[in-house]
Amino acid sequence: MASTSFTNSGYDDNKRPFSMSSLRGTPSSPHTPQHHLRSNNSSFASTTSSTSFRGEEDAIIFELGARWLRAGFEGESAPMCMVSCGPEECRRVGDYRGWLKTNNPDTDPAQSRPLVNPEDWASAYELWKMDLREADLGLVEDKIERVFRETYNKYLLTDAGTSRLVLVLPAIMPHPLLSAMLSTLFSRWRFPSITLLTSATMAATAAGVRSALVVDIGWAETVVTGVYEYREIAIKRSTRAMKALLQETGRMLTSIPTARRGVVSQSAPGDSGISVRFEFCEEVASRFLWCRPRESPSSADLQQQQQQEPQPNDSETEPTTQHSPLSSLLQRTVEIPSPSNPGSTYINLPFSTFSEPVESVLFAAGTADCELDDEEKPLPLLIYNALLTLPPDARGTCMSRIIFTGGGANIPGIRQRILADVAALVAEHGWSPVRGKVIEQQRRKLANLRISPSSRAPKQQQQQQQQQIPEDPPKTSDEEDLKDPIEQKIRRNNRDRDRDALPPSVQGVLREVESLGPWAGASLTTNLKIRGLVEIEREKYLQHGLAGATRDFETHGHHVPDRRSGLRAGGGGDRSSWTLAGWG
Amino acid sequence: MSRPFPYAYISCPCANTPVPDPSKKRRSRESPQKASSHHPDQPKPPPRFDDSEDEQTFDPRAPRSNLSLYPPEHLLYCEDCHQIKCPRCITEEIVCWYCPNCLFETPSSMVKSEGNRCARNCFNCPACTAPLAVNTLENVVRGGTSQQGPWVLSCGYCMWSTLDIGIKFDKPTNIRTQLAKLTATDTNPSRSRQMSRTFADLKSPLSTFSSIDEQFPPAPGEARPDDSPDQSNGPLSPDARFHALKSFYKTQISATSSSPSDPLGVDFGAGFSSPGALNRIMSLYTSSSRLSSLYGGASKKPKTKPPVMREALTASEGFKTPAADAEAVLIQRMAADECGWDGLASLEQRVFQSPDARFVEELLPLATLLRTKRAKRCKSCKHILVKPEQKPQSTRFRIRLIALSYIPLPTLRPLVPPPAAGVTSGSAPGMNLDALPPLRPTQLLLTLKNHMFDPVRITLATPSVTPGRVASKVTILCPQFDIGANSDVWDEALQGNTTAAGAAAAGGGTGSNATADQRSSRSGAAPATATTAAPGGHLGMFEKVAEAGKVWDKGRNWTTVVLEVVPGTLPSGSSGVTLQSRDQAPRTTHSKTTGNDSDSDSDTSSFGGQAPDWTGQAAEMQQQQQQQQQQQLQPDEDVLEIPVFVRMEWDSENQIDRPGVSAAGEMVKRELAYWMVLGVGRIDPSVLS
Repeated sequence: MASTSFTNSGYDDNKRPFSMSSLRGTPSSPHTPQHHLRSNNSSFASTTSSTSFRGEEDAIIFELGARWLRAGFEGESAPMCMVSCGPEECRRVGDYRGWLKTNNPDTDPAQSRPLVNPEDWASAYELWKMDLREADLGLVEDKIERVFRETYNKYLLTDAGTSRLVLVLPAIMPHPLLSAMLSTLFSRWRFPSITLLTSATMAATAAGVRSALVVDIGWAETVVTGVYEYREIAIKRSTRAMKALLQETGRMLTSIPTARRGVVSQSAPGDSGISVRFEFCEEVASRFLWCRPRESPSSADLQQQQQQEPQPNDSETEPTTQHSPLSSLLQRTVEIPSPSNPGSTYINLPFSTFSEPVESVLFAAGTADCELDDEEKPLPLLIYNALLTLPPDARGTCMSRIIFTGGGANIPGIRQRILADVAALVAEHGWSPVRGKVIEQQRRKLANLRISPSSRAPKQQQQQQQQQIPEDPPKTSDEEDLKDPIEQKIRRNNRDRDRDALPPSVQGVLREVESLGPWAGASLTTNLKIRGLVEIEREKYLQHGLAGATRDFETHGHHVPDRRSGLRAGGGGDRSSWTLAGWG
Repeated sequence: MSRPFPYAYISCPCANTPVPDPSKKRRSRESPQKASSHHPDQPKPPPRFDDSEDEQTFDPRAPRSNLSLYPPEHLLYCEDCHQIKCPRCITEEIVCWYCPNCLFETPSSMVKSEGNRCARNCFNCPACTAPLAVNTLENVVRGGTSQQGPWVLSCGYCMWSTLDIGIKFDKPTNIRTQLAKLTATDTNPSRSRQMSRTFADLKSPLSTFSSIDEQFPPAPGEARPDDSPDQSNGPLSPDARFHALKSFYKTQISATSSSPSDPLGVDFGAGFSSPGALNRIMSLYTSSSRLSSLYGGASKKPKTKPPVMREALTASEGFKTPAADAEAVLIQRMAADECGWDGLASLEQRVFQSPDARFVEELLPLATLLRTKRAKRCKSCKHILVKPEQKPQSTRFRIRLIALSYIPLPTLRPLVPPPAAGVTSGSAPGMNLDALPPLRPTQLLLTLKNHMFDPVRITLATPSVTPGRVASKVTILCPQFDIGANSDVWDEALQGNTTAAGAAAAGGGTGSNATADQRSSRSGAAPATATTAAPGGHLGMFEKVAEAGKVWDKGRNWTTVVLEVVPGTLPSGSSGVTLQSRDQAPRTTHSKTTGNDSDSDSDTSSFGGQAPDWTGQAAEMQQQQQQQQQQQLQPDEDVLEIPVFVRMEWDSENQIDRPGVSAAGEMVKRELAYWMVLGVGRIDPSVLS
């Protein structure tokens, strides 16, 4: 009963877009544009802000991650630059070693490189770690200062500190880190204010959707965020992300016999050190890592699989069409520079080698489920769990708006594979977190009894899903129409305008939606003059720092629901206090 | 290190003043002890027994010091604050923008519209970043006029050309606009983005489809004229998608905020949705703000439910779902034989390209990034430190206060023991600074040269043992000395001229000395070299023995003192357990188990303050030592770097000649103190004691 009421409200929510789309017709008559639109334009004649001069008020947007920083101006579709903070960027001024190819111990082939602990190997390349126990915040401040200064001087080519700053940050930031960053920026330059936006919501904005499941395959963690109506309502994290993947790739390259001059490392691959250079490894990973499509199910499972598979598109087309290309792919070899001596020699490696780190790290292939810790769930399971924690109506909306961002999303094949795996998980377990033999037995018993709608309900749902997929989307909307007379009525009013133009929104089907990325989302949002909920003004911050933020969300009254979306509702609200919202 | 040995770096004093954390002020006064444990400084901090910060020895190997050390010539000096200024403690203002390739200045109003890149013909190779040249494919001379064929951009370094990506230009000028047109009409979505990003701005405002319909959203019945061709072309490029999304959001926001709030309004409101319409005014009050209406009052009655922005649904609105086989096609291309390692773009190449560009053949030539000339001001007093001429071609500065004219220029060179009589130091092989023998005393000459017109009293201080694992012993034989004043350039020149012109003339006796001084006083070369290279007179120097408390050599505006260094041994992983580590080995292994425990103790103690602080620190230190023992030789750990604390005192007078100096009138006592790092050389790893 409860579930049905949920579903109802889900329909309700999903229909709202329709009713709104019906309203879209009204502005056809002349009307005065809204104030915020006008303020965006310098004059009526030059309409887009992109053609106007670079005004002082053009906000500058920085997207900060653990490894990369993107910066650019609001209203532009892509950042001006992407900067990393590796050891090369942290050298002393006047140290041009990176440019020297000779007499450089890093590139000197004669020197066999020692095995390095994977953690140290990667840590030099990250701006910060979530684990701040050993982090040197002063160093982070220095790095941020330098990287911002150089970004302004090299790429943005504008005076630092004159315009508003917008930071796109992950949803969880340790407070010391946030404080260090803000203190550095405010004390070093005269930014009038700094706005914080969450990356997941911005990624959804940049995809044009209001609800989404944002899968950020980032550096240290993969974060799956359920965004519903611009609010982050569920977050799941896993340490299976790019850092672990690069470390695994490094181990793989290290274990290639030629890499160690004949000395094959005997230790287990799990804990051995890495001898190849980080840059080389990242280069190999960015060029050649790929992800296999989901294994075609074995003949025994095939029958069952096909029955249960909620996505006939994926499961049927892929194995049939890709089976032969896949096997030929696996036999291919590719040539990469030899890990021990990238400058001069090449080695041949089977192409399949480059899918192995992805399999073992991101999908935990070869590891039993019971051995996995809570923090290291493989990505498909993580996404499934995230969907499971969502209320059913939000789940239906989010599962058909899956957005992949982060560095890992660039691995070819990974999106299809994850979707196929999630689909298989759904087919296997349905939407129930309850597992186990006893449960299975009981379920079977109940099924045998066949008394109740309760046992049929899940089946019905499944059937519904199955039905929905092959159907044309308009049909589903027809169904919905029949269910809701009011909506139908509105629909009738606007039938002529809507019907042909807009496809209805998809729900309940696993589907990927492409986003332009969090940076572009922030650029859009800022350009539309939508205020962030977290807008830190210079004077107020300099008075009390982070401690000055109000934690008392009650005072914000109606803003409470928007808290986690990172967007402030337009003009209202008292400006005397500020809040850290989700970061607080 | 990158710089040839020996070298000197100066640490800007601003590194000692931490970024003020405003939230700290709120808390009750904490002991500095806790503050320092709050900010765990370096992995290898010097002993923290003295808790005041300026007492700490500067550690050139700490990760933070890399960001505060500058070569002396990079530093500026503020005459108002009397302080060294590094790039971190100045603010910059852009004077002009110019293209480094063609040296054309870009007016500030055009910089943004041109995407911070040169709008002319300057392009960089996408493969190797070398500048591209505009070349013609055919050059046929027909009659009197030479008929020149299509044009391409080609790289003289890696032989890449736009032919590789199938682009030819009709004329050799305005390449960037041509390229924009070519790539914008390109059906390849990944290709069109890059240029349309930078060029959408150049188009007239009416041609971008986000322009019209953001003001006048078209009736939904009529298809948007601008979008339909895009739709038929297939998926939009990221840039086009962005603009589509932008216009979509604008339409939605204006639609949802201006339309009447109840659905019935559709029926009659169409004609009245002008600003004066009643329901519009009403909606101002019912929905407190535009955006709160987005989230919909679910609790409200459906009749007053504010309109909700819908999601983007079609490709023309910027919505995109990927093609099912897109990834498979990519994988196939990657594995193809003709692609290989070199067919895939490297990370470096992809940084400024479209995010979709994965293969070398998808890379587009990049217009050259503009550069700026910047004026620099002191961050604390806003005094201008550097002001360049505005013309890009000019290399002159109107104001330039470089630190080297205020602080003594340090130069270091090894003191070579006399190999044999008569052999000058110039021809002697000298010491190999890339392989310093460990545990053998080495003498170095440190020369400080004064560029100020006042005599300076210098006090040097150095830790007796360099920080870090490789403990080298350092002694400055004469840590306190004076440097004479620099004389005016004209005096010097005149003096030099007279002496050079006629040694037979009057001032012959002191003349030779003066020439040597004069030659060296302004140039960067080590003055001592000049003196020793000067024939005659100074050969006796080799018989000199470095004595404690005595200056080695002294000229008009420079002084040389001797530094004695005993390089430490490297903690080599191979065979040599050095003396030092042998001492520590049993202790550290013993404390290995207790180390962890006491470390956690120290954590609690720093919060609760129950345990005495020193135990925590001792354990911490032990653990660090233990960690240090376990670590292998880090890169650059074998470089012998000596931190030297320099303190200079001088009496400055009122100097009218120089601009920007406030008229001080009488003599003012000034002092300046900073850390300096002298890089001596690399310790020879092969020699083990």
